[in-house]
Amino acid sequence: MKVKQGCDAGVPYTTEEDLLNSPEITPEDVLGLQKITDNYLCGPEQNVHKIDFTRFKIRDMETGTVLFEITKPPTSETGEDRMDFEQNAGRFVRYQFTPAFLRLRQVGATVEFTVGDSPINNFRMIERHYFRGQLLKSFDFEFGFCIPSSKNTCEHIYEFPPLSEDIMREMILHPYETQSDSFYFVDNKLVMHNKADYSYNGGP
Amino acid sequence: MGEVQKGLFSVIEKLKGTTEQELRIVLLGLDNAGKTTLLKQLASEDVNTITPTQGFNIKSVTCDGMKLNVWDIGGQRKIRPFWKKYLENTDLLIYVIDSADKKRFEETGLELSELIDEENLKGVPLLIFANKQDLATASPASEIAEGLNLHTYRDREWQIQACSAVSGEGVQDGMNWISNNIVNKKK
Repeated sequence: MKVKQGCDAGVPYTTEEDLLNSPEITPEDVLGLQKITDNYLCGPEQNVHKIDFTRFKIRDMETGTVLFEITKPPTSETGEDRMDFEQNAGRFVRYQFTPAFLRLRQVGATVEFTVGDSPINNFRMIERHYFRGQLLKSFDFEFGFCIPSSKNTCEHIYEFPPLSEDIMREMILHPYETQSDSFYFVDNKLVMHNKADYSYNGGP
Repeated sequence: MGEVQKGLFSVIEKLKGTTEQELRIVLLGLDNAGKTTLLKQLASEDVNTITPTQGFNIKSVTCDGMKLNVWDIGGQRKIRPFWKKYLENTDLLIYVIDSADKKRFEETGLELSELIDEENLKGVPLLIFANKQDLATASPASEIAEGLNLHTYRDREWQIQACSAVSGEGVQDGMNWISNNIVNKKK
């Protein structure tokens, strides 16, 4: 069995194909992935706990400047506006930054989410950022318990991983090839999978 | 000389010299005590737009392999029964009191004494912020300490610190106490 070295050392390799054929996906499974997934590893129907991500924000910790913020509009009472809503729109975010972003020292990334009317036990988030085949950073956070009908926020404040000039140049020249997978687990079972991509060339 | 770190960053800076990889701080107190304002102040965030917390707010700071997680849990009466769900593996409890809301001193005292008796908080150090000292009607920290019978807490390190979460006054003094008395003990 092939075992990873480095970031998640000791975790067995997994492939997206393996996971798509698996009846249940665990945190260990996604920690073994080597690259961004081409597909969503679970469908919206698996979100039985009604977890809804309502806001994303990124700020520069040195200046306090908010570099990116997007808030999901509240759902209409009737839900009519969801009829032609693209199925993945609620689980995909596109971030647009200038090249200067890659030279920041420390950033704070906030997510806000609401949960349905049942309590959630053992809620965990694993987020993995890649440029092409290279893992740039990996977050693994255990929220544990979530109060029913609650609105919660989590800000990860982290130092930018050191990037070579060559990689930075490539990331700027190739917008949206920097991508992330966010996997959400309840009781060690994947219930939600969101994606994002990033451009650093300052343009749309 | 490096710049002087403030707020959460001053605590994680102190963590670097220890064997500890992770520190978990839980922030509790009645609704409207100023917990979220305090958390935002500690994380150098704008404190002007704050709404009542309906669940939790977390700041998770990672630096040089060290991690500091601070959990601010809503204080409304209907949420308080869930507090105990967040107490496991807590390294420090910060309890926030609205020093100007004298009508609720008894209520906040009862909640604190219940927390102190929790098995998961046995021996866990306690920092009390006597908040809202910017208000003319605020009771001094010494008076609040007396009312809470803090002198009877002999099973843990504790400190009461007067502060204003809005202006930031006194907040860093509390962080320094954490760094000097809690983090240093982990060396």
